Amino acid sequence: MTRAKLRDYGYYAVLWLVSLFFAAPVAWIVLASFKTRSDILAMPPKLIFSPTLSNYVDLFRRNQLVLQIFNSIVLTLCSVIIAVVVSFLAAFCFSRFKPRGTNFLMFLLLSIRMLPGPAVVLPVYLMYAAFGWKDSHIWLILFYAMFSIPFSVWILKGFIDGVSVRYDETGLVNGGSWLHVIFKVVLPQVKPGLIAAFIFNLIFVWNEFIFNFIIGGVKTQNIPYALAVGTYSEGGMDWAFISSITTIYIIPPVVFIYVFQKYLLVGMTFGTVRGEV
Amino acid sequence: MLVLSLLVPVLSFFVVFNTIPTLWLLGLSFYNYSLTSGMPPQFIGFRNFIQIFNNRNSIWGDLSRTFMFVGLGVSIQTILGALLGFLFWGSKNMPGRRVALTMLFVPMVLTPVAAGTFFRFIYDPDFGVLNFILHGLFGARPIALMVDPATAFWAVLAVDCWMWTPFMALMTLAALGAVPKAQLEAAEVDRVPWYGRLRLVIWHHGKFILMLGVLLRTIDSFKTLDLIIPMTKGGPGQQTRLVAVELAEQAFESFNMGWSSAYSVLLLLISIAMTSVFIFILHLRRRRHA
Repeated sequence: MTRAKLRDYGYYAVLWLVSLFFAAPVAWIVLASFKTRSDILAMPPKLIFSPTLSNYVDLFRRNQLVLQIFNSIVLTLCSVIIAVVVSFLAAFCFSRFKPRGTNFLMFLLLSIRMLPGPAVVLPVYLMYAAFGWKDSHIWLILFYAMFSIPFSVWILKGFIDGVSVRYDETGLVNGGSWLHVIFKVVLPQVKPGLIAAFIFNLIFVWNEFIFNFIIGGVKTQNIPYALAVGTYSEGGMDWAFISSITTIYIIPPVVFIYVFQKYLLVGMTFGTVRGEV
Repeated sequence: MLVLSLLVPVLSFFVVFNTIPTLWLLGLSFYNYSLTSGMPPQFIGFRNFIQIFNNRNSIWGDLSRTFMFVGLGVSIQTILGALLGFLFWGSKNMPGRRVALTMLFVPMVLTPVAAGTFFRFIYDPDFGVLNFILHGLFGARPIALMVDPATAFWAVLAVDCWMWTPFMALMTLAALGAVPKAQLEAAEVDRVPWYGRLRLVIWHHGKFILMLGVLLRTIDSFKTLDLIIPMTKGGPGQQTRLVAVELAEQAFESFNMGWSSAYSVLLLLISIAMTSVFIFILHLRRRRHA
């Protein structure tokens, strides 16, 4: 073995250790979900134990869990699909026609995302309470869509800006309508942007708690709501429940960042920074 | 016509869910309006704002805690993240790189509610693994990190850093990716020392991306709420009561809508200022590229 190779292995070992360090707290919770209740609280903590699935069996016996998972999936998918469609049209308009006030609108859109959650939701809460829209799937989906739009517009505008106007012109000269240009010419070229917007809104809505808690309710509760509200039993924290529900809930985001790793940067920065890691 | 029809969906969303509510918020900030008292809103002029600035639990305390949280958190994350970014820079050929990076980036896609909850498990004085490790290494006595006023703030900050250091590492990697290889090689041929290369080549090309990262992190960190609710709920005492936590409690536990509206208006002004800085830096970068 050459020296250079040995150095490479040492270097990779360090990187793996760093990655392990960041994943360790999550791994610890995933491990806990396979322990019995007494093993979870054992002192010294047990790394080696006989795994059990009883926590998951208990979890699915709770009649609300299926509702919570169902809500999480429905709220996430519906709101993100609405948001991406609406944002794509708006982003196309902002990018190609640059109507007056484009910059101001883009600024306003971004500033929604910069405001602390309770400040955004406070007036919406009053409005929903006044009209009786609380605890309704449709209105919660629409609110989530509104909150996902700024992010998607920013990502998609960046990508559409990158598609040359020549393509539009060619399409129009050859007798295509604007609809043809938008959906058949530009849309296929901004697929990476669409995927990035889609994934990141999915993760955002999937993780969202405070809006669900305040303008949602019993009917629309999602998994983070369950985590924040249903954590006590018999006077203490119910760690068996917490660890097993956390394990189920983190599967989609982890799979997403594994599969769509090259979109991570675009997504985490509203599309203001491009490139791959 | 086409322009309008493309914009109508986004504008209608915007007006219904943002413009009208924001105007409502502005209006309410001049009223004394509590949902629990059952009294109709009563116009009181600027008294809500005066109260926010002059009360015993005034906004200054919340703001100073928040800025301390933001300042410390963002600096720690930036420094550690930059180091990690440099560390991962040359790892293109690492076997299993994708798995390793996924593991590194897991903390930032977790919901803060889950992270906050399971860190209570890790921090627990009786059966938490952290106290066990500290005890094993230094013989430290178990500390109730979340309950002790001296440690609660730092315990929350540590979790925030755990979650967001990978983000700054990601931004550093992106910044390093923007540095042209040819210039680095030229600098190497010219025997420019490493700090010279860092200052003259890498900083020159990477600074905008890194700055955008710092700004995004500053803005997000200013909003921190979900993490604190399951961990400490703003306690013990006032130790971890950041602006978002204070607002959430006043608005949705005490239902002081007038007061909270005024508070929200102030936060709105702060976030508009931060957004402007963000856009300003973005334009600087665009102009340089053009």
